[in-house]
Amino acid sequence: MSAARFDELIHAPTRLAIVSLLAASEWADFKFIRDTLSLSDSALSKQLTTLEEAGYVEIRKGFVGKRPRTSARLTRAGRAAFELHVAALQDLVARSGATILPR
Amino acid sequence: MSPGEAAQALDEIQRRQQQVIDLAVIPAWYWWAVGGLMVVLGAGVDIRTPTAIGITVPVFVVGMLAVDGWVIGRAYRRAQLHNGLLDGRAVLSILGFVAVIVGVTIGLAFALRAAGVHYPATWACLAGGLVMGLGGPFLNRRLRRVMLGNRAGVAR
Repeated sequence: MSAARFDELIHAPTRLAIVSLLAASEWADFKFIRDTLSLSDSALSKQLTTLEEAGYVEIRKGFVGKRPRTSARLTRAGRAAFELHVAALQDLVARSGATILPR
Repeated sequence: MSPGEAAQALDEIQRRQQQVIDLAVIPAWYWWAVGGLMVVLGAGVDIRTPTAIGITVPVFVVGMLAVDGWVIGRAYRRAQLHNGLLDGRAVLSILGFVAVIVGVTIGLAFALRAAGVHYPATWACLAGGLVMGLGGPFLNRRLRRVMLGNRAGVAR
């Protein structure tokens, strides 16, 4: 099995941002993702649904007190796909001789 | 895809993960608040009357619950940090920090008591609280550095 695999589904700009936020989280709140990425509710829902249908994201709906709360997280498959995608990007950069320095 | 576009995507990945990591940074006032509560508890130990104990212990417990609840709740409401970002270095840093605070506070309290100083627990908690208030931000920076280094997309 290859250690790097470019993933078209993840690479779309909005989905890449969503998956990157989720990669650093166990769970992330819908409103946090929406506000951080300046998306509308419907735009975020649409992207999350696409990721959920691919098996990359799990959506959890619950209540905190009486307030509904929606959270999302990467599934194991989603995290693996993200890591392979990152490795593919790193390979591309490395082959060109460039380097990415951490911020 | 060009290497430049791949580099941009990696930069975006790192930036987005940093936004989650920054949620976990504990505000500086937290360390001073905990230090202040330690002093309150120390004073209760020194005064040792039922009234003093009856006031200082609840103030300490409620205060700790309030500040910890605020800090944890603030982060939890938005995103719960991925466990993989904190590794053995982070755990050692936290344990080391706690050991220094406990060591300074307990060690100084016994030393002051042996020297016959009045209010040894209060003075010792004051010293421990100062170490906490001054050292907390350093621990924060250390943990943040570890987590940033453990992000996906960072060359290791």
